[in-house]
Amino acid sequence: MSNVIECNNLTHYYGKKLVYENLNIHVQEGSILGLLGKNGAGKTTTINILNGFLQPRSGECLIYGENSQQLSPATKARIGFLIEGHIQYSFMNIHQIEKFYSGFYPDWKPAPYWELMSKLKVAPNQKISTMSCGQRSQVALGLILAQDPDLLILDDFSMGLDPGYRRLFIDYLREYAKAENKTIFTTSHIIQDMERLIDDVLIMDYNRVLAQCPVNEFMSTFKQFNFELDNDKHDLKKEKFVVNLEKVKNKIELYTYESESFVLKFLQDNGVIFKNFQQTKMGLEDAFIGLTGKY
Amino acid sequence: MWKSVIYKEWLKIRWFLIGYAALGIIAVGYIFLKVQHDIAFMEGKNYWYSILFQGLQYFGYLKFLPLIGALAIGIAQYFPETVNKRIKLTFHLPLKENKILLMMHAFGTGSLLAAYLLIFSIFYVLSNLFFPSEIINGAIATVIPWFLAGLTTYFMIALIVLEPIWKYRAFYFIIGAFFTSIYLNQTITAGYAPVNPILFILTAGSGIALIFSAYRFRKGEM
Repeated sequence: MSNVIECNNLTHYYGKKLVYENLNIHVQEGSILGLLGKNGAGKTTTINILNGFLQPRSGECLIYGENSQQLSPATKARIGFLIEGHIQYSFMNIHQIEKFYSGFYPDWKPAPYWELMSKLKVAPNQKISTMSCGQRSQVALGLILAQDPDLLILDDFSMGLDPGYRRLFIDYLREYAKAENKTIFTTSHIIQDMERLIDDVLIMDYNRVLAQCPVNEFMSTFKQFNFELDNDKHDLKKEKFVVNLEKVKNKIELYTYESESFVLKFLQDNGVIFKNFQQTKMGLEDAFIGLTGKY
Repeated sequence: MWKSVIYKEWLKIRWFLIGYAALGIIAVGYIFLKVQHDIAFMEGKNYWYSILFQGLQYFGYLKFLPLIGALAIGIAQYFPETVNKRIKLTFHLPLKENKILLMMHAFGTGSLLAAYLLIFSIFYVLSNLFFPSEIINGAIATVIPWFLAGLTTYFMIALIVLEPIWKYRAFYFIIGAFFTSIYLNQTITAGYAPVNPILFILTAGSGIALIFSAYRFRKGEM
């Protein structure tokens, strides 16, 4: 499969503050990639570079082979873009905004838009500015579905949505993407949502990439072990196999890509006295926090 | 695509444009109500004498009218684009970024010019009912810089509102205020007549200033 998005050696600074250096991202056609990271890790920066709203200090992003800083109108027509907070032209109502966008896209498909709008309890002339965040999210999603783009770039789609609207958004999106072989590049603060949606995960921390792989591979290789220490002689944090270690009194949460037998053998070989050792099953959010740390 | 761009811009400015046109008609109506009153009060020959030899500007109320329209339409058109950086939506539409921006700008300029033309036409027609061509020509030469000041203000509003950084906005505001005030400095009737073509060229030149702010936005200045 070909790459729809290809970011090569992307480096960016805000003033003297490094956001990231030599970041490489590849998103294959038909896949759904979730970009995860703490606040300030560079998620929106990446989205802005992809959409041509930010010029990176060095490196480049190619979308369908074109530099994202100079996308042609034909390529832009293939990209659906959801701005953080479901921003739309809020001075329009749902009829006006559909009429406006339909003029730009020859293959405009109004049916999915009106299907979503029929679920909203809004007056025909109600302006978008007076709608709830959840209703606005459905308008934004409906417009993207009507545009029928090949690539969807979604910046924090779950922001401000209640669980019901989040679930509706995700279910619609995943079904649409898989049925139509669409590619999605998305960020979200709510990682449980990502678990239902994404195929591949890219986890960023300040200045670096911590993981980039299929989400199933990540979840099967990254592990959490819990145990209680009876002596505290060995500084486990310094060990190479330890990705992260959280300690409350003598209770340890150890995160690693190594197997249970490897960790047990290491502890025994190094004279660490412990009890109640167990592997803990993680969700994607647990794994994300395990990888990036709690703060 | 032209239709869609015009549709969006129309939705943003329509009430401001209609309101401004109504204000313009009322202002011109008031000017000539006062002219009629003053002619009845002073007698025609004395009133004309005041205009021709004592510098009376019966059209003085027009001075800031174009400016008001430019402020109203410029802010109504460009401010909604900057709320939540909504201009990203515009730039993401399948057109070249500068092309769509200039399409929006052309519509705003055209709308403002249409309002100006309406106000000016009523002013011209009513002037012909009261004054000879010598007085009317002097009035036209005087109000042209005021209308150019309005257009320049509209262009400056676009530059200022689309600029992503506040301190640069303040800087552009000072430059814009100084630049626009040049057009309004004439004190005698037709005082700027010899330089009106130069003012016209300056105004036309400032028409594409917003491209600079848009370029800075797309580069990611914040």
